[in-house]
Amino acid sequence: MNLFENIRLALEGLRANKMRALLTMLGIIIGIASVMAISTLGSAMTGSVTKTMDKIGGKNIMVSLSPKNYDTQSTLQEEDLITQEELDAFRNTYADQIKAISFSTGMGSGQLNSGFIHKDVSITGASPDYGLVNNVNLVQGRFISDRDMDGTRNVIIIDTTLRNNLVGVDGDVIGKEIQVDTKSTNETYTVIGVYEKMVIDNPLFYMGDDTRIECFIPITTAKSLNPDTTNQNGYENFTIMATTNTDSAAFAQTTKEYFIKGLGSLSDFTIQAESLEAIASEATGMLATLSLGISVIAGISLLVGGIGVMNIMLVSVTERTKEIGIRKALGARNSAIRSQFIIEAIIICLIGGIIGVGLGSALGIMGSTLMKFPTSPPFLPMIIALCFSMAIGVFFGFYPANKAAKLDPIDALRYE
Amino acid sequence: MRNKIIEMRGIVKSYYLGTPNELEILHGIDLDVYEGEFLSIVGASGSGKSTLMNILGALDRPTKGHYYLDHLPMENVRDDGLSQIRNKKIGFVFQTFNLIPRSTALKNVALPMLYGGIPRSERSRRAAELLQLVEMSGRSHHRPNELSGGQKQRVAIARAMANDPAIILADEPTGALDTHTGRLVMDIFHRLHQEQGKTIILITHNVELAEETERTIRLRDGSIVDNRMNGHYQLEGCYESV
Ligand SMILES: Nc1ncnc2c1ncn2[C@@H]1O[C@H](COP(=O)(O)OP(=O)(O)OP(=O)(O)O)[C@@H](O)[C@H]1O
Ligand SMILES: [Mg+2]
Repeated sequence: MNLFENIRLALEGLRANKMRALLTMLGIIIGIASVMAISTLGSAMTGSVTKTMDKIGGKNIMVSLSPKNYDTQSTLQEEDLITQEELDAFRNTYADQIKAISFSTGMGSGQLNSGFIHKDVSITGASPDYGLVNNVNLVQGRFISDRDMDGTRNVIIIDTTLRNNLVGVDGDVIGKEIQVDTKSTNETYTVIGVYEKMVIDNPLFYMGDDTRIECFIPITTAKSLNPDTTNQNGYENFTIMATTNTDSAAFAQTTKEYFIKGLGSLSDFTIQAESLEAIASEATGMLATLSLGISVIAGISLLVGGIGVMNIMLVSVTERTKEIGIRKALGARNSAIRSQFIIEAIIICLIGGIIGVGLGSALGIMGSTLMKFPTSPPFLPMIIALCFSMAIGVFFGFYPANKAAKLDPIDALRYE
Repeated sequence: MRNKIIEMRGIVKSYYLGTPNELEILHGIDLDVYEGEFLSIVGASGSGKSTLMNILGALDRPTKGHYYLDHLPMENVRDDGLSQIRNKKIGFVFQTFNLIPRSTALKNVALPMLYGGIPRSERSRRAAELLQLVEMSGRSHHRPNELSGGQKQRVAIARAMANDPAIILADEPTGALDTHTGRLVMDIFHRLHQEQGKTIILITHNVELAEETERTIRLRDGSIVDNRMNGHYQLEGCYESV
């Protein structure tokens, strides 16, 4: 029978009963909308996590010595530390997977004095590769060099806020001497660079308002100013930046095994190596679980919606018993009656699906905008949602349609 | 010899209301109708007129007996075949019009053609033509609830003519109409009979209307008790009594 004619017929019927049709569609609308919303949010989340990971260094592997047993007091021994020689050997072994290795050590907070200006700052001793590994965005001057390291020079990199405080936005701060007092030191440093603080505008990575002003000095300088630290001749922690095409999670494991061998079994300490990528994929894994949960709810809603459609179709068949009789008297075959009602059920579900996709996409776009990562709804789930809603129509429409098709023409005609 | 378009032999119709209670409505009807005849069926209420018409119209199957429609033995035709026969060979006109309420007059008239697989443009063209034949062109886009009873019945007759059927079956088509409108409807049947040579079977309670037809059959309690030519047709005497 004529498909187009059936579609027109179904639409006419729905127009006559707008409110009823809408209520019937509600389950389908809610089900499809939640699937659409969650898949839009999911793709927004994955996208924003990836973007933020790139910014803060998704290929970074953080390696540190950590106690095997946190309950017992264990102190780090000189021989536990990873020496420069060990690191060089490691770097040579995996040359094609390592882009850079950086070290840093926190020196705590201090006060910066320059003329009448006093500012609280925190000082970090860093190696030359620190800038690359942690995406330090230099806007003026340079970062720490090997020569600064070898000479344990008193040089410092400050951020733009501090620069603005000291000399104003357009002022030249490079070469200026500033004094920094920490608990145990008071030293004068020469400014060699200015960097812009990284802004992470991803609410998923929100870590509180960080108003700290961080300044970098060579790690060798930091160590020489702080003679009581044990890690003078080795490193307690460092960060590896893997090359772009390295699987950083797998390489983290490799790294861990490599250095555990060097530790010796008697040590109280073990090696921890974690890749940011692995942490992020854990987060996205949680998201997948969450969307599975929502999908189950959506599935239930679709099931209820489908039963609602079946119910309304049964009502509609009863209401139109006489019409069915007339159609049969005029020569409609059973198959024509069946397809008329199935198509009507499909149309109800499809319209519900379209409204659901629209609503869910709108919610998804709104949600992803709130996440500061506006994302357009993914195409494939949209198509799947629409096909699925049509399938619901076929499935739940079949029984009422078949009932209509099997009506005896005379009984149907006589129905009042 | 004219073509015997309907031949019924020993048609019995029973209803089973629980096993022991068999209710026989038609008790072995024999009936021949020739192509181009205008036949009326009269009888008291409950005598089985509609039951007979449903069997004639391939809406229902007899419990016993043989029915040949245009020489085709109907007991050998399956349900889809019956649908097709209703669609192509028979046009129904009912007492209560039985138009589809949500569809316009034009769509109602086009409906049998839709089930007959006739293309859309041809459907509309012919439906408009048929509405013109029953003088309903002006109302082709009105829905049934915007039409008077007589107008509805004219649309229903146009619909019965849609696939140019050989037989028109009308079950009390004037029953719900006043005398004047009933007259108009009757005139249309006469026109279809005379101008297009349609075979028409008319069920009616109105004896005057029955007498206008060529032949009248009287049913009583499910049996044919009378079968005779009317008025001047009698004189022609060209039909043998069955
Ligand atoms: N489905 C059914 N089950 C049982 N009995 C039925 C059924 N349909 C019809 N009958 C009975 O068959 C008999 C004949 O009914 P039918 O409708 O043919 O009468 P009719 O001659 O058309 O009467 P009317 O002039 O009132 O329309 C009636 O007694 C009716 O009760
Ligand atoms: Mg009757």
